Amino acid sequence: MQLALDATMTNVQGAVRTGSELDDIDALVRTYRPRLLRFVTFSIGDQDLAESITQDCFLKAYNGRGNFRGDCSVSTWLTSIALNLIRDQQRLQKFRFWRQARATAIDITDAASFLPSNESSPEAKILVREKAQQVQAALENLSTNQRTVFMMRFLEDMELSEIAAATKMPLNTVKTHLHRALKSVRAQVGTNL
Amino acid sequence: MSLTTNSRNSLHLSNDQIDDALLGDMAPEADRHLAACELCAARLAEARMPIDSFRTVTLAWSERRSATLPLQEFKMSAGPLRSAAGKRQPIWASAVAVLLALAVAVPVLRHETRLNGDESSQVPVAVSTPVADQSASDDQISRDNQMLSAIDRDLAASTESPAALGLKPVRSHISNQPANPSIQD
Repeated sequence: MQLALDATMTNVQGAVRTGSELDDIDALVRTYRPRLLRFVTFSIGDQDLAESITQDCFLKAYNGRGNFRGDCSVSTWLTSIALNLIRDQQRLQKFRFWRQARATAIDITDAASFLPSNESSPEAKILVREKAQQVQAALENLSTNQRTVFMMRFLEDMELSEIAAATKMPLNTVKTHLHRALKSVRAQVGTNL
Repeated sequence: MSLTTNSRNSLHLSNDQIDDALLGDMAPEADRHLAACELCAARLAEARMPIDSFRTVTLAWSERRSATLPLQEFKMSAGPLRSAAGKRQPIWASAVAVLLALAVAVPVLRHETRLNGDESSQVPVAVSTPVADQSASDDQISRDNQMLSAIDRDLAASTESPAALGLKPVRSHISNQPANPSIQD
């Protein structure tokens, strides 16, 4: 009983903390926009559209912050909202969505130039850039579901159960998509040993 | 899931088990092996490297990209949401704005009307205008009638009869008389 009470208190404290975090939209945007923008951009492959969806996502989250129960992280909650907005966009644009977006896809070479200049050698940076390009190319060949769960797992660090909840897919389906996505990415990147 | 035998005839993780490790969904047996096997740990690190690279590069890109995007758009868009009135606030704000505009516009228009001259001097002009229009239209009608009459006279004087042109008179299709009496009979 005491344990249950403690857990409830923890959840309440978490909800209060995250609730106040959601009240400050400037701080919310500053903290979560980079990751959210990355998720949306590499989910749809269109930078301009991604920025628009990301902005809509923050407004929707801010508007519906009263519905946030604190049973997951704010990041996971935002990612779930973003996923719904992406799906809305997919429904709107249907077949044009991904294929047309690829024409305005971001250039990972350009992205690689933003690598932080820490102590890694130029050779290591080139290797990182090449591998990142290969993964990006591999992602484009995945199905929408495979790409979504892959990015949720490996970019957003979401637990499998959180991915299942966000995508409204059974846990085993999430695992299946993840395994297929991973197998496909590893085959194209060349790390199947 | 059991460990697989590699070319050196020793037990190591399969590719699926490496995938499980990447996904964080490893069986306890495989997890124990991974902790003890340098070769499998190296394979896992090699499999993880491209994904980590993608993750690092894309985060660096999105951080830089996000830094160039303005926060102001969010402030402006989220402004009305901050109030307890929620979405109703813009409607009330619009109503107040319309009332204010009317309150300012009506006195100004009245003031301009007074500046344009004596109101009493404008009223007869406004009243007399229809009378003047009426007399003008009567004159015009009279002139039109005269012109039409002249045209009729000219046409009557210049018209040649069909007989003069060697043609038979044409009966009207709506005449009561039969066009061919023999058929009637």
